[in-house]
Amino acid sequence: MTSDGRALELAERAWRAAEADEADAVVQVEASGFARFAASEVHQPTLISDETITLRVVRDGKVGCAVTNRIDDDGLREMARRAAEAADSAPPDPGYAGLQPAVSVPDVAGYDADTAALTPEEQAGLAAQSIEAVPEFGLYGYFTSGTTETAVASSSGHAVSQRMTDASVLAIAASNDASGYAEATSWKAGDLDPAACAREAAEKAGRTRGATEIEAGTHAAILEPYAFSELLWYFGFSSLGALSCLEGRSYLSGRLGEKLFHESFTLIDDGLDPAGMPKAFDLEGVPKQRVTIVEDGVAKDVVWDRRTAKRAGEGRESSGHALTAPAQGFGPLPLNLSVRGGDVPTAELPERVGDGIYVTRLHYLGVVDPREGIITGMTRDGTFKIEGGKVTKPLVNLRFTTSFPKLVEGILGLSDEVALVNRSDYYDERYPFGTRVPAIATSAFTIVGTGSGPGL
Amino acid sequence: MRELCGEAIDAATAGGAGYADARAVTRRAQHVATKNGEVESVSDGETEGVGVRVLVDGAWGFACDRRLTVEGARSAAERAVAFARASAGRAGRRQVELAPAPAENGEYRTPAERDPVDVPLSEKVELCLRAEGAMQHEDVKITEATLRAQREERAFQSSEGADVYQEFVECGGGIDALAIRDGKVQIRSYPSAHGGSSSQSGWEYVEGLDLPGNAPRVGEEAAALLSADPCPSGVTTVVLDSEQMVLQVHESVGHPTELDRVYGTEAAYAGTSFLKPDDLGTLRYGSDLMNITADSTTPSGLGTFAYDDEGVPAGRQAVVEGGVLSGFLSSRETARQIGAGNGGSMRADGWSRMPLVRMTNLHLEPGEGSFDDLLADVGDGIFMCTNKSWSIDDKRLNFQFGTQIAWEIKKGKLGRMLRDATYMGTTPIFWAGLDAVAGPDEWQLYGLTNCGKGQPGQHAHVSHGTSAGRFRNVQVGIRDV
Repeated sequence: MTSDGRALELAERAWRAAEADEADAVVQVEASGFARFAASEVHQPTLISDETITLRVVRDGKVGCAVTNRIDDDGLREMARRAAEAADSAPPDPGYAGLQPAVSVPDVAGYDADTAALTPEEQAGLAAQSIEAVPEFGLYGYFTSGTTETAVASSSGHAVSQRMTDASVLAIAASNDASGYAEATSWKAGDLDPAACAREAAEKAGRTRGATEIEAGTHAAILEPYAFSELLWYFGFSSLGALSCLEGRSYLSGRLGEKLFHESFTLIDDGLDPAGMPKAFDLEGVPKQRVTIVEDGVAKDVVWDRRTAKRAGEGRESSGHALTAPAQGFGPLPLNLSVRGGDVPTAELPERVGDGIYVTRLHYLGVVDPREGIITGMTRDGTFKIEGGKVTKPLVNLRFTTSFPKLVEGILGLSDEVALVNRSDYYDERYPFGTRVPAIATSAFTIVGTGSGPGL
Repeated sequence: MRELCGEAIDAATAGGAGYADARAVTRRAQHVATKNGEVESVSDGETEGVGVRVLVDGAWGFACDRRLTVEGARSAAERAVAFARASAGRAGRRQVELAPAPAENGEYRTPAERDPVDVPLSEKVELCLRAEGAMQHEDVKITEATLRAQREERAFQSSEGADVYQEFVECGGGIDALAIRDGKVQIRSYPSAHGGSSSQSGWEYVEGLDLPGNAPRVGEEAAALLSADPCPSGVTTVVLDSEQMVLQVHESVGHPTELDRVYGTEAAYAGTSFLKPDDLGTLRYGSDLMNITADSTTPSGLGTFAYDDEGVPAGRQAVVEGGVLSGFLSSRETARQIGAGNGGSMRADGWSRMPLVRMTNLHLEPGEGSFDDLLADVGDGIFMCTNKSWSIDDKRLNFQFGTQIAWEIKKGKLGRMLRDATYMGTTPIFWAGLDAVAGPDEWQLYGLTNCGKGQPGQHAHVSHGTSAGRFRNVQVGIRDV
């Protein structure tokens, strides 16, 4: 596989093969291992190796794209031919914002040689550490690690590349009538303790037997970082990108500058943060910018790419949040969200709630109304009552249909600890990303129904 | 590609694999998207590679390589063996066994009049723009059209002597109109939401959709929804159109009957199932009118093939008969576990993922009568069309779905339009309320391309044939109270 600068060389070869007025090429290289386990056995171990090139060309103002993983000269020529045909098939694109001019990008952390060097045997061994730590439950989850390399090169003279590593461990400890969840993510596998992750899941599972139901209604609740992260991501996907904002589909459309959330809520997107999954540039090669989305409860901004910045005008520039050209219909996306921690020790959050619900993680979210930020889903693998300021009895999985803005408006406290939570499900090309969030105690979490009990 | 599969098999068995299979795949995929009269993207992608799956010491391993060369095939095989051996782990683990299956040899090609990939991109762009242009309305602020075309070659061989080669073409598309006024947003789509509908067919399928012809209605309905009353809350009779019925079948019948979910191997991501192996033949899934069939031979189905990704021939099986669970979707491994069948539902996304138990084409068999007959027996109810949102729990029991548009039903007739319709239910209770299914003339086949499963994640393309259906005592109008 390509490594150590060869991704950039490949990107250069790709755009130079194009017959176009302008061209850029994005190379994504992956070498990864996935030791997936169920019932305490590694049952679906997967090794992936691939190199993908996305070529965008501009001919007489018309834009077309082609993709290939054939990296020899014939493959690049064929890709260039298809990209040219794609461009020639369309009328000129008035929304095209031009290529990123040559510019330097910041040095970022995010590559760990030890993680990159993990062998399949070691990956399987790390999965085994989780499994062997919890003999009293069946263990379901995975250990995965990967090395990815992203390079962008173009006819503007811009040429950037970054190697990244990522590692995640996920564990569900489960029996027929109990289940608990935990996960951990880092760009350094050495930061992870698969056994500790499994023990956290098992401790949670042990407390979920005998689950009962709860009445529908709006409850005070604590959402652990696993749960808060997922809710935030769905809200972010639908509302925190400039495209949905400009089109009037976002919760923030027409509301920037207003105080919409609790004053303790500050949300940024920072691709450079070494505590996250750092990225130096986006998939147009634009350097990542730190964006303040919400500050002390006031909605400030969304994230931008070159196309939406051009559309907005008034000197707006890309903040470095573009996807590849074929995916630009999704608009720019916030892939490095980070919520500022609060001042409440995690163990003291239940006192802020008094009586309510404790949620470990969520399942299968759906955006019901993007304009109002209403999201539905289930709780799962560790839902409990909070009574008198203490986490007490287990609850069955609950269906919620709740307003994210109201949830955040109703903050009772944020934990002082912040966790990085993986948000990638590893579809298509591997591109690690996650959110950094505290646990949140809120007065406004709406339950509309009940589901099955914990367990398998 | 077949020779490369053979090289991979040889390398795997020489390395100690007791079983091995190899899939060499080339895929070409085109996508055109336009928005508000401008081209948003035109892309033409290809990918190729070989994926090798092995059983070593009773444990699976999988590895892939993008190089369709002897070196790539052998490298994938050797790495798969290494990972399987490393994963075999401790003594006493369950030894994977496979249900017997004959070693098939054969070929398949999608019947198509016009290969959709060969249709000029300019023709696709023009069709999108023309369809968009016909959706114009004062309140429609965003119009979108998408078209896709795909061609895939897949060679499969196994160490048991299976040797099959298949070529698939598929295409599809759809249009969306978003009406926006006073901060309110409503959407209408055709022929279905979330990227439209696809078919394993030639371009004649897209031409038959008549996107421009349906566009004016789509724009008008989106605009009308802005002024519509919200769906009331309560318990009532619900009639689902065939498109929303697709999602109902997919989420609350298709996924829970995937036998790997029943056995827990998807617990870490997609979840498990409320069904147990012993429920086969006994569990009451729904009313007597509920008849669900899995059929990988359905003409034009996205899940149609001659052989699945274990080389098992296509077939048809009942999943629910007269409301009783009568079959699971299975693999050779899960068929062996349950002691019935030999699989036939194993599918992998491309070359870089392991096959998993997947839906192929899953149908609600038609009933009797027309759509108007369904309405005739409704004193008060709601007719819901076209999915807008969806969510279901990890065992596939509690679900909440939303649709783009709805109409009140009063005394057997459609009345006022309703917006923001949602409904909720518990799977077997909901299906027990099915008391009418429209007949064959109302039955339509839809194809979706975004069914996600597995870790690492992969997509499956699945078709469902459905007619409209009527359900009693359904909770509707779920609000954030």
